[in-house]
Amino acid sequence: MTTPFPRGHHDDLEQDIVAALENREVDDAGDRELLQRLWQRTGELVARLESVTDLSEMAPGCQRPTRNLLARYERQIKILERMIRISDRNQSDLKRLNQALEEASTHDQLTGLTNRRFMTDRCRQEDRRVERHGGSYALLLLDADHFKRINDSYGHEVGDQTLVELARAFRSSLRQEDLCSRWGGEEFLALLIEANLDEAVGVAARSIESSRAIRVAVEGGDVRITASIGIAAHQPNETYADTLRRADAALYEAKRLGRDRYFLEGFAAD
Amino acid sequence: MANQHVQNLTIESSQSSPSVIADWERGVIMMRGESYPENSFSLYEKILDWLASYLEASPRSLQLDLELNYLNTSSVRAMIELFDNLQTAAENGREVSVIWRYDARNPRAAELGQELGEDYTFPFTILAIDP
Repeated sequence: MTTPFPRGHHDDLEQDIVAALENREVDDAGDRELLQRLWQRTGELVARLESVTDLSEMAPGCQRPTRNLLARYERQIKILERMIRISDRNQSDLKRLNQALEEASTHDQLTGLTNRRFMTDRCRQEDRRVERHGGSYALLLLDADHFKRINDSYGHEVGDQTLVELARAFRSSLRQEDLCSRWGGEEFLALLIEANLDEAVGVAARSIESSRAIRVAVEGGDVRITASIGIAAHQPNETYADTLRRADAALYEAKRLGRDRYFLEGFAAD
Repeated sequence: MANQHVQNLTIESSQSSPSVIADWERGVIMMRGESYPENSFSLYEKILDWLASYLEASPRSLQLDLELNYLNTSSVRAMIELFDNLQTAAENGREVSVIWRYDARNPRAAELGQELGEDYTFPFTILAIDP
């Protein structure tokens, strides 16, 4: 025979009840005493349940209207069920909010690209992957040409719109597995996983081309923009920060050579 | 109604507890804000006490007007207590009602209101607030 509760807990009362039920001889005095203890225990259990769920039980001297034990017990069970349902709802709301915050903390609000923080993490991961499993990647650093002039001549709104278009042009020029982020004000960084020379140059050339095609309508015409890109391939034993430094140097070269072009750095001639 | 019973309850909001205004003349308890106080009993005890003395002192109606964006579990427990007391009053023939206001940008808050209002026979109105 099993006792309903508490499980795994040595309990004289329950053992006595079980013994009395198994005992065929009638023992009125003993049964009465047992019944009394059982009744008291039942009351204590309901009171304990109330102390968990009921607010007024937290206040000494605050009395609930007298109700029978079953009604009190059922009321507490009902409250508990509702609290669990509502608590579950709260938690799923918080989960959703968390996702929204995570999205906000990893993405650039203006362009919708991932942000610098996210990209830095991603580049570090890539360093670990390459170190463990070999392989390579390339970084493309894109900078809008003469962006300050657009902001100064047409205002920040047009400047922002131009950046949105540029982000779109850059992203659409990438291969499916590549990642692209807003790195700084008018600077974008793309991570090209396992890209060979031809592929990296292909992406850069497409990006330059699609940047040229950007038109942002303003009063009396269109604003145009061009971009310069520095390309560097990751070399064995360097970190993404080293690769990025070389991509930045290549970007500087592209600018120096007249902008609206890409410059390639550090691809092993094979 | 005996004038000496007239008393309003005002509790300022904090980051973790809502503002409370209980208006004796109008028979309205207004709560606004978020509710996750460290000790929910000390907050809700005041409201429950006010409600009890209001219901005892006057036969007039009572409205609970709520705009609560977040409730922790023990605040939910306290809310159930408040609503249960209203239900008892309603069963004794008192005119009581609850208005649950929620931010229209967060439709899930309406579901929480529905969940809370379930099982009560008095009017429980759920209203969207346009920001």
